[in-house]
Amino acid sequence: MALPLVSKMTGNANDAVVEYYHDDVVRFLVMCSLVWAVLAMTAGVYVAAELIWPGLGFDHPWLSFGRLRALHTNGIIFGFGVSALMATAFYSVQRTCHVPLALPKLAWFTGVAWQFGVLAGGLSLLAGMNGGKEYAELEWPFDIVIALLWVYFGLVFFTTIARRKIKPIYVSNWFYGGLIIVIAMLHIVNSLAMPATWFKSYSAFPGAQDAIVQWWYGHNAVGFLLTGGFLGMMYYFLPKHADRPIWSYRLSIVAFWAFTYSYIWAGPHHLHYNSIPDWVQNLGMGMSLILLAPSWATMVNGIMTVSSAWEKLRTDPALKFIVLSLAFYGLATFEGPMMAIKSVNVVSHFTDWTIGHVHSGALGWNAMITFGTFYFLVPRLVGGKLYSVRMANAHFWMALAGTMLYVLAMWGAGVSQGLLWLSLDQIGELSFSFKDIMASMVPYYLLRLVAGLIFLAGAVMMTYNLAMTIKGRPTVKVRPPEVTAYRVDS
Amino acid sequence: MRTTIQSWLFFRLLTKPSVVFVELSETRPSPYSVFFRFIFWLALIPPVFAYIGAANFGWHLGAAEPLFMSNEELIAISIAYFIALLFGFISTAMIAQWMAATYGARHSLGIHFAVVTIVAAPLAVGSIVHLYPHVFVNVLVLIPTLIWSMYLLYRGLPIVLKIGPERGMLMASSLIGWLLVAAVSLLGLSVGLWGSGIGPSIGV
Ligand code: HEM
Ligand code: HEM
Repeated sequence: MALPLVSKMTGNANDAVVEYYHDDVVRFLVMCSLVWAVLAMTAGVYVAAELIWPGLGFDHPWLSFGRLRALHTNGIIFGFGVSALMATAFYSVQRTCHVPLALPKLAWFTGVAWQFGVLAGGLSLLAGMNGGKEYAELEWPFDIVIALLWVYFGLVFFTTIARRKIKPIYVSNWFYGGLIIVIAMLHIVNSLAMPATWFKSYSAFPGAQDAIVQWWYGHNAVGFLLTGGFLGMMYYFLPKHADRPIWSYRLSIVAFWAFTYSYIWAGPHHLHYNSIPDWVQNLGMGMSLILLAPSWATMVNGIMTVSSAWEKLRTDPALKFIVLSLAFYGLATFEGPMMAIKSVNVVSHFTDWTIGHVHSGALGWNAMITFGTFYFLVPRLVGGKLYSVRMANAHFWMALAGTMLYVLAMWGAGVSQGLLWLSLDQIGELSFSFKDIMASMVPYYLLRLVAGLIFLAGAVMMTYNLAMTIKGRPTVKVRPPEVTAYRVDS
Repeated sequence: MRTTIQSWLFFRLLTKPSVVFVELSETRPSPYSVFFRFIFWLALIPPVFAYIGAANFGWHLGAAEPLFMSNEELIAISIAYFIALLFGFISTAMIAQWMAATYGARHSLGIHFAVVTIVAAPLAVGSIVHLYPHVFVNVLVLIPTLIWSMYLLYRGLPIVLKIGPERGMLMASSLIGWLLVAAVSLLGLSVGLWGSGIGPSIGV
């Protein structure tokens, strides 16, 4: 059935004010995201080096592994990741709704305040203030600020959607919307705590319940931020880029709901063989296995969309990143359900295999899709050409090599650790001490360090390339199209 | 037009890879001849050398003494390794044939067998390093070999299938996706087996 949807341009009839898309805030957030990428990956490289040469902490608490590691994860997720997600959400929601951002001042405020929040939060971690929950380390005053800013993000986004000129809500907006709503819920519940001092608080949940709530948060931060949010990016920029509609729109919507429903239950796979009820662990495992279906459906949808647009690759280094990111997305979402199987997890859990899995997702999927998107977006924002296509092509190979090396090194380390942690001598005691095993990891860690340096160098090159692209050029002013009728085929 | 691939191609691989691929694109090898003349023998290299190395020196995982296993266990592991490699070769070629249709390159299975063989040859030969079963030494030799193989894949696929570099790039990336998934499945499978008492004994 085809139904014509009629809409009118604002301002056509009675007011003379011309409305443009608000892209300055997008540009600002992209630049911030790039800066955080470089800083947080530098911290990653530094902690990777500390695992080889512990002396690099120089007995200074600010340089200790424990503090820098949290700086790495928070900086990369909240600085690089969230800034990129805000930027692309603001950019795409305007274009998929054919209206400029609602509440542009609030959008600016949220974007700028977020940067100060990440900066201050990072410093507080370096100073040793830490709530002790992974990916939710920041202490309670920061939690309140994050909650407020997140609500503002939601206000800008959903008000824009409410004012849209196109009746159907495009699938990328479902994912960005899911990101905003679910992260707000997770963050607020998981951060419930009793403050003791300004920078110390105690969780509201006791014992094992606290662990369950924490990993309900932790896993869904992966699910709705590192996966869902970035899928929003994929669903807008990939078809745009390839100049093709998404291969199957229906599949994308089905996958969205399947994904949203199953992810929420999967958290307990982080707590296998812990002091939580057995059935909760089994439920988490079952739901993780189910998750493979929507994840791979999404990957296939993406790959099929590009497959018909191969001729674009000639002129466009950005598309290569997106293609590869889909391959790594496929890897991470296959590996994850497998590691959620209890008999695999019993070996993999305390090993670097987990770290390998994390970074196959983080480098291969999150970072690559963002790089691809930025290479596409930034020249368009300023109406110019990319400063250097050759550099972008070189960056592609560096990113691929860095990710492969990282993942392979961690697989090697993981298997060795799995065997060594668990090997018993004749009288049934552990054969090797923790210290000996860690010492034997040096070769793998060296390899990971090299991988990280290559990946970081690529990111630095991209930042330079994009900065030169933007330099001296104002943001292009784009008006919503003057179309008044849309057809929707259902 | 030739119906099999020539052995000298493997040596030219080191000096003039593009010549090899152009030559390959002009052949119509039969899958059987590629399999029995090359794949089978190449896939024997890693398990055989792994067996000799492990039986004589024991694996060095890094910590303390080398890990020795009984002869039966070693034989079982080597056979499993061989089967896994054959499965890897054949499944990759078949998946490549299936994918090729999407990229507008319909070819016989034989040519895909040949490409996969050529691309994997450096890795198979490099695995002679299993003779010295020290994990780090193996990693040190096999990682550069792997990079070489990946280079051959990206370089060779479009030439042999005559599909233009853009589609070749897409297809090579998709194949890498498949290979990573296959590798991690193997990892998961082995770990699952150890946990249930098959393979090296661990305290689970
Ligand atoms: C230059 C590249 C990078 C290097 C060298 C690097 C290095 C590291 C290191 C050494 C750790 C600690 C591992 C351990 O405790 O044993 C780590 C953890 C982590 N990194 Fe990275 N990283 C890099 C990029 C990224 C990116 C781009 C992301 C996210 C998008 C990311 C997300 C994480 C996360 C979430 C963890 C915590 C994993 C866990 O607790 O299981 N990293 N990284
Ligand atoms: C179907 C999808 C996925 C499933 C079922 C899954 C499952 C798992 C499992 C079982 C673990 C190990 C838990 C443990 O033993 O401690 C894990 C860890 C992790 N995964 Fe995934 N994964 C999936 C996709 C992803 C993706 C796409 C990313 C993106 C970056 C990701 C990021 C992480 C992170 C950061 C951790 C480490 C958590 C920690 O700090 O311990 N996962 N995942």
